[in-house]
Amino acid sequence: MKQKPKKSIKKSTEERRKTLAQLLKNKGAEIYDELDSGKFPSFSVPSRSVSNIVYDKKLRQYILGSNASLRSSRNMSQLRSFTQLMWLAFFANRLVNEKKSSTLRDIYYSSQAFAVDFEDQPESDNIIVDLEAVLTRPREDLHIFPEERSSVFGDLVIEYTVPGYEGRRSNLSDHPDGYLIGPSLSSAELVDTSAELVIAIEKGGLFTRFVEEKVDKKFKSIIVDTAGQAPRSTRYLLKRLHDEMGLPVVILTDGDVYGEHIAMVIKSGSANAAHLRELTVPDAKWLGVWASDIEKYKLPTIPMTESDIKRITDLQKDPRYQEGNWKKQLEIFKRIKRKAELEAFSKYGLTNITDKYLPEKLELAKSL
Amino acid sequence: MSSKGSFAQISPSEFFYKNRDLAGFSNPTRSLYTAVREFVENSLDACDQQGILPDVHLAIKAVDPEKPDPKPYILTVKDNGPGIESKHVPLAFGTVLYGSKFGLKQARGMFGLGATMAILYGQITTNKPVYVKSSTDAQTQDEYELLLDIQKNKPVILKHETKEISKTGLSVSICLEGDYSKAGAKIRDYVYQTSLITPYATITFDDPKGEKFRYTKIVRSMPPAPTILNPHPYGVDVETIKRMVEDSKFSIPTVDNKTIEKVRSELGLKKKDLNYSEIMSRAKKRWSSLSRMVRVVIAVMSFIKKDFDKLSKIRIDDLDLTAKQLTYWDFGESKSFTIDMDPESDYYKQLTNTTQGEMLVSFLTKRFQRVGRTTAEKFSEFAGFKPEKRIGTMTNQELVTLSDSLQKFPTFLSPDPSCLAPLGTEPLEKGMKAFFNPDFIAVVQRGASAYSGFPFVVEMGIAYGGEIPSGGTKVYRFANRIPLLYDEGSDVVLKVVNETDWSRYKVKGDPPLVIVSHICSTKIPYKTVGKENVADRPEIERELRLALQFLSRKLASYMSKRGQAEMDKKRANLYSKYIPLVAQFCTELAGKKKEPDYKKMLKEAVTIETET
Repeated sequence: MKQKPKKSIKKSTEERRKTLAQLLKNKGAEIYDELDSGKFPSFSVPSRSVSNIVYDKKLRQYILGSNASLRSSRNMSQLRSFTQLMWLAFFANRLVNEKKSSTLRDIYYSSQAFAVDFEDQPESDNIIVDLEAVLTRPREDLHIFPEERSSVFGDLVIEYTVPGYEGRRSNLSDHPDGYLIGPSLSSAELVDTSAELVIAIEKGGLFTRFVEEKVDKKFKSIIVDTAGQAPRSTRYLLKRLHDEMGLPVVILTDGDVYGEHIAMVIKSGSANAAHLRELTVPDAKWLGVWASDIEKYKLPTIPMTESDIKRITDLQKDPRYQEGNWKKQLEIFKRIKRKAELEAFSKYGLTNITDKYLPEKLELAKSL
Repeated sequence: MSSKGSFAQISPSEFFYKNRDLAGFSNPTRSLYTAVREFVENSLDACDQQGILPDVHLAIKAVDPEKPDPKPYILTVKDNGPGIESKHVPLAFGTVLYGSKFGLKQARGMFGLGATMAILYGQITTNKPVYVKSSTDAQTQDEYELLLDIQKNKPVILKHETKEISKTGLSVSICLEGDYSKAGAKIRDYVYQTSLITPYATITFDDPKGEKFRYTKIVRSMPPAPTILNPHPYGVDVETIKRMVEDSKFSIPTVDNKTIEKVRSELGLKKKDLNYSEIMSRAKKRWSSLSRMVRVVIAVMSFIKKDFDKLSKIRIDDLDLTAKQLTYWDFGESKSFTIDMDPESDYYKQLTNTTQGEMLVSFLTKRFQRVGRTTAEKFSEFAGFKPEKRIGTMTNQELVTLSDSLQKFPTFLSPDPSCLAPLGTEPLEKGMKAFFNPDFIAVVQRGASAYSGFPFVVEMGIAYGGEIPSGGTKVYRFANRIPLLYDEGSDVVLKVVNETDWSRYKVKGDPPLVIVSHICSTKIPYKTVGKENVADRPEIERELRLALQFLSRKLASYMSKRGQAEMDKKRANLYSKYIPLVAQFCTELAGKKKEPDYKKMLKEAVTIETET
């Protein structure tokens, strides 16, 4: 494990924090000036309606179109949500400056201390997405985190920036259960790694098996548990590992249509987050389990449900599934109408997946 | 008639006694309420007629408060009206009267009938007399204690005293079986609502439980009294026409000294006595110059064949033209004589003519309202009668034709409403204001209209908000200043109100809304004998609807102004709540110390139109 000198660390999280703080300050100043000159301030909020979500082939992700609505404090029916948005920016600014994190639920309750009322959490969640769209920054940048957590394990040195831990470093292979991808890890600087690969895996159980089988060492890899559909903080970490550390990202999922889509979201984002960039790893590769693997490896299968089949039909309309392996695998799933989980390899021994399947697929991935 | 014996004649008292259900005296609850109504309405009517601002005091006291209902109560109603002349008191309160009134005028009730029914009912249930105190001159008061002889329809005076007093007025006190625990709510409602529609009256009520209700005058001017008018042609039936025909006949004159003087003077015999045949020949010569009355006397004389001296000693009792017989009483001989008349005689024809009544045209123009000579002639043609046809000669069949034609003739002018006495918009509005203290009030009086020959006027008021409790529209119905309390479900006013789409008038949910409807007519078309709900005559329904629409539009414009004001207030509240927050947040966000000056914006905010 090489230890690079401290000064060469790329302070990316710190920079992001600073640019965000500036962005917030600018917005605040804009509104301050408008108020001071007797004008009713307003925000331009990009429209997140379905008609305004388009697929950008160049960026290889969903983005918002040019439609935006004006949320004005002059309009009686918008005044309340304008104030909510304003409050959230104000509150996020405090979180960012004080380096404190909060959850979506926290936000809902915190508002009540400022006489800004949200009817329920969905309403406050919605305002959070509005602010994300206005700033084109994910909520994690604003120190607002969902409850869901996923984990990471491998030889990666990080340096914390959260209060009380500033400058402290950790190696993410120090704890065999892995490290939670939480606010402190998300805001940590990535210092160094000996890994040459990132393996994102859909399931916690397999993640543990991979640690036990020392996949990190055998394949010089950082293992990330996405815990199902990867949370944004996880996707953000994957992107940083790819962009900042120059590591290729491969993805292992269950052999079904949902697994295929988990891989796709890591690669090119989701429609729900079309207002955000920097959450995608366009070069990420889906290793499997492919539909064709089910036949090839003679995996035990489960019949698909009707909703599985419907999901295939839906995805076949998605522009990202119109070509190559993505299209091919959907077609096979649709034909065989069966699915296989990652655990299915256990039929051939618990280590079959790490000993046989993974090396084969990694080899294959090089040609993808 | 051979079966005459099986039709026993009964007195009016007995008739009403046997049919007291019809008059509203079916049980102790209803009877107590009806009795209150009859006396209070009589008092108010009496004051109205004399232009006196009414003070009516009602008291109900249990004879024995410990007894359970139903039990005897003493009901006393005292007013400051004109009173009733002493000599008329026993007849007015001790007999059941029925009069023949052709005159049309709006009044609360038929004169006296209901009150007498109440007295009768009281007497039947408690066997106690009625006490009447009356003063017409504000000096002496006559106090009577009366019972009613039901079989004979005659008053029995138990006691009569005269006392000194300083005010006119009438006080009637009866004892009757009643059930106040059940009737109380209705009676209190009645008093309350009567006060609402009679804002120029003071009405008080002391109830048996010791509660006192006081409704004092709100206005001090009375609506103009109605005038008495002839009936409208559309409003009469065959029976009425028959009675009018009877009334219009020229009566056989009494041959008293005064009449004989007149005959003598017209014949130039003031100082000269002639015998019978000399008188007749002199009359024949002078026939063309004689007056109608004198001609009739001469004609009668021609049959009884007597001179003036003897003529003055008889009384003509009957002149039956069909039987061609004349009956008279001779005082000298104390004997009745019947003589046959020669139908071929000229004098017989004279008599026939006289008793055949007016010509149709003059009958129509003189006895009906809104009929002129031209209309009468056109009508005669329409009905297929000669204009000069004597109405007294009409057969039953012809009278029916006449009556039918009066209903069908299309071009009679609509009835004259001057016989109506609506309350007037100003007293109505003042009354409603005092009773409900609303935020909004509007009243309207529609022009006079008519149904089936009866004129009517609709007055209506609408009140919203203020002290009116929410919980839905409350409708107060009145007819001829009488509140209608029972049977509201089937009433035409309720029908019209319920068919209104209130959302069109910006009224939502269970609004604090009061509607007061007053129908005035010489004849209210009640649906039932109980006189509590008005039938849905299309003409009346239309007027009610137009009145309500007019008021609802006014209410809608008030509601939208009110809505606007509420919106402005809401808006102002909204801006003054949120803008300071926005200022606070952006100040910290922008890293400034001092908050922006947003105060002027809050003022501006009020004028912002709602943007969508």
